[in-house]
Amino acid sequence: MFDDHEIISTIEMVKNENLDVRAVTLGVNLFDCISHDLPVFKKNIRKKILTHAENLVTTCDAVGDKYGIQVVNKRISISPIALVGACFSSDQMVEIAQELNDIARQVHIDFIGGFSALVEKGIAPGDQALIDALPQALAQTQRVCASVNVATTRAGINMDAVLAMARAIKKAAALTSDADGLACAKLCVFCNIPQDMPFMAGAYLGVGVADAVINVGVSGPGVVKRAIERNLEGQPNLNLGDIAEIIKRTACKVTRVGELIGREVAQNLAIQFGVVDLSLAPTPTVGDSIGEIFQALGLTTIGVPGSTAALAMLNDAVKKGGAFASSHVGGLSGAFIPVSEDLNIAHAAANGFLSIEKLEAMTAVCSVGLDMVPIPGEITEECLAGIIADEMAIGMINSKTTATRLIPVPGKRAGETVYFGGLLGEAKIMTVPNSDLCDPFVKYGGQIPAPIHSMKN
Amino acid sequence: MNKVIITVLGKDRPGIISRVTTALYELGCNLENVNQMILQQQFAGFFIVEPPANTTLADLAQTLKEKTEPSGLTVHINQVQDTGAREDVIKGEIFLMTTIGPDQKGLVARFSQIIARYHANIINLKAVFKGGNDPNANIMSYQIQITPDIDTGQLFGALRQKAEDLGLDIRIQHKNIFDAINKI
Repeated sequence: MFDDHEIISTIEMVKNENLDVRAVTLGVNLFDCISHDLPVFKKNIRKKILTHAENLVTTCDAVGDKYGIQVVNKRISISPIALVGACFSSDQMVEIAQELNDIARQVHIDFIGGFSALVEKGIAPGDQALIDALPQALAQTQRVCASVNVATTRAGINMDAVLAMARAIKKAAALTSDADGLACAKLCVFCNIPQDMPFMAGAYLGVGVADAVINVGVSGPGVVKRAIERNLEGQPNLNLGDIAEIIKRTACKVTRVGELIGREVAQNLAIQFGVVDLSLAPTPTVGDSIGEIFQALGLTTIGVPGSTAALAMLNDAVKKGGAFASSHVGGLSGAFIPVSEDLNIAHAAANGFLSIEKLEAMTAVCSVGLDMVPIPGEITEECLAGIIADEMAIGMINSKTTATRLIPVPGKRAGETVYFGGLLGEAKIMTVPNSDLCDPFVKYGGQIPAPIHSMKN
Repeated sequence: MNKVIITVLGKDRPGIISRVTTALYELGCNLENVNQMILQQQFAGFFIVEPPANTTLADLAQTLKEKTEPSGLTVHINQVQDTGAREDVIKGEIFLMTTIGPDQKGLVARFSQIIARYHANIINLKAVFKGGNDPNANIMSYQIQITPDIDTGQLFGALRQKAEDLGLDIRIQHKNIFDAINKI
């Protein structure tokens, strides 16, 4: 039996605070599909993915319906194509991307992730072919997501890969200039990429993971925001320690919802349950925003002084609440601050409260990085590589995941509006100071060595 | 003598439980289970007791009424029909249906008719008050036991259609989601 408060709060979370399960992502291992013959390889991966994913969408919808909690996105992550397709050329890699796009369409999922390479300590031929294929592969497909891990705390930063990725991003943007460089919204550059992340665009299935696995990404920024507001309305004298406790408890509830639904989907599909990624992920909808949480915490907007401290507290409280709720937490687990995907953050950037430098500082304490940041298309590849290298350095030194998803919008300057549509949202292009510099630093290449604290053994 | 169920009704005030249980104790009855609720200041209590072997239902009823009814309470006594089934075994799954919207006559009747037509059992029904005077804040909550033979697609479809006809917001959610969020 439930008391009034329990019934009302549960209904409110779903009805008015946008509580949902943001992503159920089916991971599929493709290593047993390997062939040197491209048609055979394509046939193998199609068969393998369809076998596991045939009922993914209907199962997610049925479970979501049973609990009255929508599973918003159903997705697939696969083994890194640079590994399972290592023998193919870049042209053949593009064909593989098209095949994956078609498979995704056939099983009615919006994104398939794993067009990926892991190059933190060097670039093998398969990795090179994949990186070379990225611009065409992303321009010619709609549902394929790509990621390249160029750094880890253990290996350091592969600066050759950083520069190669800057070039790939510029080319991908140019090939989709009619859509504001949309291809780049499906491409992440990572440091310390997790093997079990359910969120796109960086999801892939790691090599040490089961043959098929269900990972769940929960959400709930609206629920956290309302919990803070509700408690402050009732008790205006709460201090930040008290508020952190409220966030922690709320994150715990949200995580339990995700695990309940993820486990049932996994059970119904007879697939192993992997992890809950308890990230707070926004959408471009009022009331479903990380930015609004900063305002609930008493800041004018995200980006003003105090924002990094607020984000650090939020990120930590979310992790603590999630860790209490589930023993199988993975992925990124924290708070996302993607600029165009969060209406409130996009406004803060457009109105001059949030600069790219402040955004970078904030990524030192949250779970991703410079995410969905539209920047001027004329930025030099050296400057773009420099921004990526800076972000990788934050991840490497702090033993955490960082990433960039930067969109150099062709033909547009700072302050102009870009529209990516759907969950990817819209934003004004952010100013990048000194974006015309061609400093040779990133062109020296080689490896920035791993930090001293990588030698843990 | 088999177990009996005693229902006590009356305006709520201090001493009701004391008066009833003292009377039962003096009659030599063993109190096995009890539940009570207060609805708009009206007390309703249910007591399942095992009377002494040599007591008749009529004797028990008369004595109990003599000891409680002068204080304004109404007492009913019935023999418990023992089905032999364990009461804590619930077959099937429990869904929580909530309807939100303006109060109107016949609301519960209309929904419960549909639920009964599909042979589903309402195991708990309550009006939930959000507070305030908003007529749209009326929430009725039904806990419905769904046995495996019930076609949930048809039942839930009929309930949703009825809610739409009546202009109500309806949610039908498996009980586990309320457990996951609230019972930590």
